[in-house]
Amino acid sequence: MLHLLKTEWLKIKKYPAFWWMLIIVALSYPGMNYAIYANGYRDQLNDKNMGMLLRLLPNPFQFPDVWQTVAFVSSLFVFLPAIVVIMFITNEYSYKTHRQNIIDGWSRKDFMLGKLLNVAIITAVITALYALTAFMIGVLNAGFANAFSFAGTKYIGLFFLQQFSQLSIAFLIALLVRKAFIALGIFLFYYFPLEPLLVQLAKKYAFGIGTYFPLEVSDRLIPYLRWFIRDEAEWNALLQQSNMHVIYTIILVGATWGVCFYINKKRDL
Amino acid sequence: MQPVLSLSGITKFYGPVRALRDVSFEVPEGSVFGVLGPNGSGKTTLLSIILDVLKANNGQFLWFGQPGSPAQRKKIGSLLETPNFYHYLSGIDNLKVTQSISGRGNGQDIENVLQKVKLHERRKSRFKTYSLGMKQRLAIAAALLGDPKVLVLDEPTNGLDPVGIAEIRELITELRHSGHTIIIASHLLDEVEKVCTHVAILKTGELLTTGEVNDILQDEDVVELSAADPETLARLLTPLGKLELNRETNILSLSVPKGSARLEELNRLCFSNDITLNHLLLKKKRLETRFFELTN
Repeated sequence: MLHLLKTEWLKIKKYPAFWWMLIIVALSYPGMNYAIYANGYRDQLNDKNMGMLLRLLPNPFQFPDVWQTVAFVSSLFVFLPAIVVIMFITNEYSYKTHRQNIIDGWSRKDFMLGKLLNVAIITAVITALYALTAFMIGVLNAGFANAFSFAGTKYIGLFFLQQFSQLSIAFLIALLVRKAFIALGIFLFYYFPLEPLLVQLAKKYAFGIGTYFPLEVSDRLIPYLRWFIRDEAEWNALLQQSNMHVIYTIILVGATWGVCFYINKKRDL
Repeated sequence: MQPVLSLSGITKFYGPVRALRDVSFEVPEGSVFGVLGPNGSGKTTLLSIILDVLKANNGQFLWFGQPGSPAQRKKIGSLLETPNFYHYLSGIDNLKVTQSISGRGNGQDIENVLQKVKLHERRKSRFKTYSLGMKQRLAIAAALLGDPKVLVLDEPTNGLDPVGIAEIRELITELRHSGHTIIIASHLLDEVEKVCTHVAILKTGELLTTGEVNDILQDEDVVELSAADPETLARLLTPLGKLELNRETNILSLSVPKGSARLEELNRLCFSNDITLNHLLLKKKRLETRFFELTN
């Protein structure tokens, strides 16, 4: 496994798009969170009617709620690492290195394990960026004194799982179509607007099915912004649902990679 | 001696198209084995199957008596169809990936093979900036990494200039003399004839013939003779075999069953019939001629 990780890192570390993605993500996470704070939360806090209500709730940009707030906002940017994930696998097809890796001595399983690690590395890096952003915002709002608590840090794990699940779906699409721009188009179209539309339609006409769409399954790991939900019972239900969706997401991730391994094993390279 | 590679009944279909049909042959250790055939004959498909890139619909192949496996492929240096590298990586970084996957060679070996293929000066340039010939040289360097005892080279001289082609020919000869086994697919018959010890000739997926190059080339003996009076010489030789007269050079070609040409006896026969020969040569048939005979 270490050997596969080392080889994948050799491929990643000098890929310019990877570093560009990191720079963009590193700017987007704090940037978007600040925008939500300044134009969403702070404005409403100063609002005559809303301000009173919001002050009754914990500050979403202070520990421990900051972990969940930043996780939710940052998760909206999954399309950025998805571009890199899609480029990585489609590059293998356009350069025909997916064949060369096998010729040089990898098994097809090794190749796919390498790709799984590849997606895991990207997910780990963006999770680290998310955690750093949340930590910095928390410290800026409440000082170091409150930073060293584990409360709310479960969202680091949930963010990783959610992003890994969604990037795995992007990977599967790229593996199936093999062409970077087509795969990107399909993923982005499905991410928005197709799945949100299907989820809404399912809510209206198909009872609870909407909860189990591929991206929605992991979206529900990280509940909506706290101050958008007024009802305490509804908020608790969302938190409860998040626990169940950990299991659903793990099942979905397993199934996604199971399909990937099967396709790669069966088809000619 | 156990063959390095043995194929038995390899058959491959691409949908309704039959790319290979029941192909069987063996590659002896220490040989330079040429897989020949016109475009579309199945050469690359065959090499792709033995390197596990494609799956055969039927038949099996054994490397050193064992079914193909990743561990065996790691010991084989291969160049299949085109140089396949990461465009954004430099030559040296691409070889690091090859080294990491195959486990063949080390950092010093990477430097050595780059020098061997004359790419050392451009080792830090990105692959996408290389010319076609340089890309091919890098692929050959990757195949040579760690000095594998078996090499599979698909059209290794593609994109190379005449000097490059001659260098690869020398390299293959050098490798053969040091005990390597080389399987080489090519349609450059002149090159193959110069370096190969064995060949297999394919046409539209079928194996037409296989064996040692000399055996395949010499399906018959051809003796060239000439004398001052070619007509008299022709009358004397007619009962011995098939005759052809080149009117421009006045040289007669006498074809006799393989291994039956005796130049001394022919010379004596002519002389005893008052014909003095001014040209007598046992001619080796060119691979190109034999190839066209077999494939047309």
